[in-house]
Amino acid sequence: MGKQKGLTMISRRNVLRTSAFAAATLAWPAILHAETKTLKITTWGGKWGDIMKAKVLPAFEKEFSCTVSADQAFPFMPKLQTSPKNDPLYDVFHTNSNEQWSALTEGLVLDKISVKDVPNIADVYPYAVSDKIVGVTIFTSAIGLGYRTDKGLAPPKSWKDLADPKLAGSRGGYLIPVNSLGQCHLMMLGKVYGKGLQDLGAAYKALEQLKPIKLVDFTGQMEKMLLSAEVTEGVIHDSGVFRYYDTADRQPVDFCSPTEGVMALEQVLNVTPGSKVKELAFAYINYMLRPDVQKLLAEAVWYSPANKKVKLDAKYDEKLLTTPEKVATLIQPDWKWYNEHKDDIDARVTKILKG
Amino acid sequence: MSAAANKRPFDAGRAAYLGLNLLFIAFLLVPIAIVIVFALNPTPYISFPPVGVSLKWFAKFFDSAEFMSALWLSLWIAGCVLVLSIVIGGACALALARGNLPGRAFLTAFFMSPLMLPAILTGLALFQSYLLAGVGRPVWGLIAAHTLVAVPYVLRTTLAVLYNFDRRVEEAAAALGASPTRVFFEVTLPLIRPGVLAGGVFAFIVSFDQFPVSLFLVVPKGETLPVVLFNYMKFDLDGAIAAASMVSILLALGVVLALERLIGLRAYVKL
Amino acid sequence: MSVVKARPSPIAWLIAPALLLFLLFFVLPFGVMAVMSFFSANPISNPNAFLTTKHYLRFIDDDAGIFHDALWSTLRIGLVTTIVSLLIGYPLAHWMARIQSRLANMLLMMAVIAPLLTGIVVRTFAWMTILQDKGVINTTLMSWGLISKPLPLMYNEFGTVVALVHIYVPFMVLTLAGVIGRIDERLEQAARSLGAGRLRAFVEVTLPLSLPGILAGSLLVFALSISAYVTPSLMGGTDVLTLPMLIAQQVGTSFNPNFAGALGMILLIVCFAIVIAYNKILARLAGEEGLA
Repeated sequence: MGKQKGLTMISRRNVLRTSAFAAATLAWPAILHAETKTLKITTWGGKWGDIMKAKVLPAFEKEFSCTVSADQAFPFMPKLQTSPKNDPLYDVFHTNSNEQWSALTEGLVLDKISVKDVPNIADVYPYAVSDKIVGVTIFTSAIGLGYRTDKGLAPPKSWKDLADPKLAGSRGGYLIPVNSLGQCHLMMLGKVYGKGLQDLGAAYKALEQLKPIKLVDFTGQMEKMLLSAEVTEGVIHDSGVFRYYDTADRQPVDFCSPTEGVMALEQVLNVTPGSKVKELAFAYINYMLRPDVQKLLAEAVWYSPANKKVKLDAKYDEKLLTTPEKVATLIQPDWKWYNEHKDDIDARVTKILKG
Repeated sequence: MSAAANKRPFDAGRAAYLGLNLLFIAFLLVPIAIVIVFALNPTPYISFPPVGVSLKWFAKFFDSAEFMSALWLSLWIAGCVLVLSIVIGGACALALARGNLPGRAFLTAFFMSPLMLPAILTGLALFQSYLLAGVGRPVWGLIAAHTLVAVPYVLRTTLAVLYNFDRRVEEAAAALGASPTRVFFEVTLPLIRPGVLAGGVFAFIVSFDQFPVSLFLVVPKGETLPVVLFNYMKFDLDGAIAAASMVSILLALGVVLALERLIGLRAYVKL
Repeated sequence: MSVVKARPSPIAWLIAPALLLFLLFFVLPFGVMAVMSFFSANPISNPNAFLTTKHYLRFIDDDAGIFHDALWSTLRIGLVTTIVSLLIGYPLAHWMARIQSRLANMLLMMAVIAPLLTGIVVRTFAWMTILQDKGVINTTLMSWGLISKPLPLMYNEFGTVVALVHIYVPFMVLTLAGVIGRIDERLEQAARSLGAGRLRAFVEVTLPLSLPGILAGSLLVFALSISAYVTPSLMGGTDVLTLPMLIAQQVGTSFNPNFAGALGMILLIVCFAIVIAYNKILARLAGEEGLA
């Protein structure tokens, strides 16, 4: 009896010990998983996406012990719109300024991000957190004119040069309803030919004068049209021209910052109010504003960094907007106003530009 | 049919017939020739005439983990869709053709309707419903969505075969003493098999090349090839997408060939 | 042979899986979308959303002047694409159905299927290479001195139709080949031996017998081409604005899924009506309850 009791006692202790061990083993992944938070972000593809996935995101995951799930399937806004507000599809929303304003109207993103949550905001240029911005800008490009230098035409200096009759049939623009560069171009026409960015009457008139014009969906197409000489001059952002400077067989394409000013194409980050990992989201934005991360990305895709403290290599520094004076040439449109009028504008420009 | 009856005189009429058809084949194949050129041309944009031959775009494609995993995912999903749509679509066709259901015309139109709707709406509607149901964006949801748009194809081709079916073969088998089940499995099914499989080929292709429906239903690291290509194209319009296309064509043609070998699609045409 | 309206046989149960699939993944989601089209905003995330018919009225009133145009463009492009696909697809299908050698048949099948496999993105860029001002056609014609200015082959309805036809001809061919292949060649031969020329034998024997295939193929291509939006967006510039393109714009850049849903419903209803009418005509011509 004693022996059996002893055996039983040992067995029970063994059983308990084994169970505890087994439970711990089974629970280990759950424990690990509980510690590993997931940050859901959006990101562009192409070169930007490559660098993000290869360097920027792994380093962030390591430093903050988390996983980053990056959605690359554009468009993002309809997906965010459809997901419930208290469990949004994204924690960090990366898009252009016009979409951030649309998102704000539906309460899908925050209005302003405080420097308490993202300390690096203290180091950015004023345009990055101006009243025209919802969230915080991490990079910007300048929208101007791209042109070929081998067609015997004088390099453009003003936005009005796009209307040069010699360019008929070889100038390029964008489908305004779907592309924000096209929308910026329309507003610029109002400023250049009329009373200001919101002078739609003058803008429509000027648009009429630009016909015939080849219209494309997105900047990648415009880049290719310039490279293959399908167009001689077109509206494009500086990054879209500069990024081909280093290619083996560089084409004679250059970029002009018109005298009337360049429009800003900002890369804006924001946080969703319903996010369950807000602290991590703010940490991510702060991380993206760090000078070393900014330098890496800026030099990969030729974007102008928002952080004043970034020191780029000479060849980038020369071309990009890296000083207060250069930055002052940026014009930021009122996207809240534009979005309110978008439906009417879309219908009107469709009618004007239809063949 | 005697051999003599098959000898066609080669005259102006026949020459015109062949010439016209060859022209049409050229029309179908010229864009593929362009894609090949584009895939081998080293310049990072579409240029004509081409400047040279280089395999760098293929290298870029195969090196890219993103492209490769998207390729395998697309192939795997297309395979699942092939099987599911054959079973579901084939069964539905049989029911419609033989089942004496009321409202056949309406039902047939109903099952064709996914074809008529812009796929972007199908994708958005499904995305919305999945979120409402709380299932997120699982792979089976993607497969179900593809199957939805693929079934109409199987349905069509199978119905085509069933409506032109000579029932006397079945009646003969029954007259010889075979039970209805046996007639079905040993006579009917084999005879409609080519039709079902022709539809299956469509289903495979439609799923493999599906873009708008997938757009809303893919998740990060789980994107299908068309989605990856489309997004790549927005930023980096270079030869890599042409290389991807070539590889897709070869792989998918391989699948179609295998199906043809195994099951004999030619029978579909010669039934 | 009398047609007796029999009761549904047990085989009818085979429709169950398809019905289930469609109910869950088609009817339900579109039910949700139809409901959404009557709301001002997404009622789940926006408590202020209210029931309204304004989206439908917006289309019907068409103050913007572009919505009705979009519907007509859609139907017109669909019709032209269908007719051209038929004109190209029928000879190809006839050839494929009549060809004797198995190797030739296989090569032909692959040649016909290959365009479908290129992928929507790359195929469009291939057409750009061919049709644009500095593309193959224009540079060749100009270097031969046949034209002095490039022909506008892209960024308009012409380019869109060319690209759409290219995608849909294979569907037409494969549909037709099946039907033509089943027509007994001896019927044609009988007509020939009775003195009819090849053309007459074709027109009076083969063509009528292939009518179900023609109608089936046309319906398929029509349905597909009126719902296409990626190709028209990339090939049409602003010259082309179809209803699906408008829907895509509303979803992707105007962020108005309610209006998009309403447009989708309108497109669906129009198409459904056309299909049912088509089927009725087909039934009358083919003498049975029709092949969709």
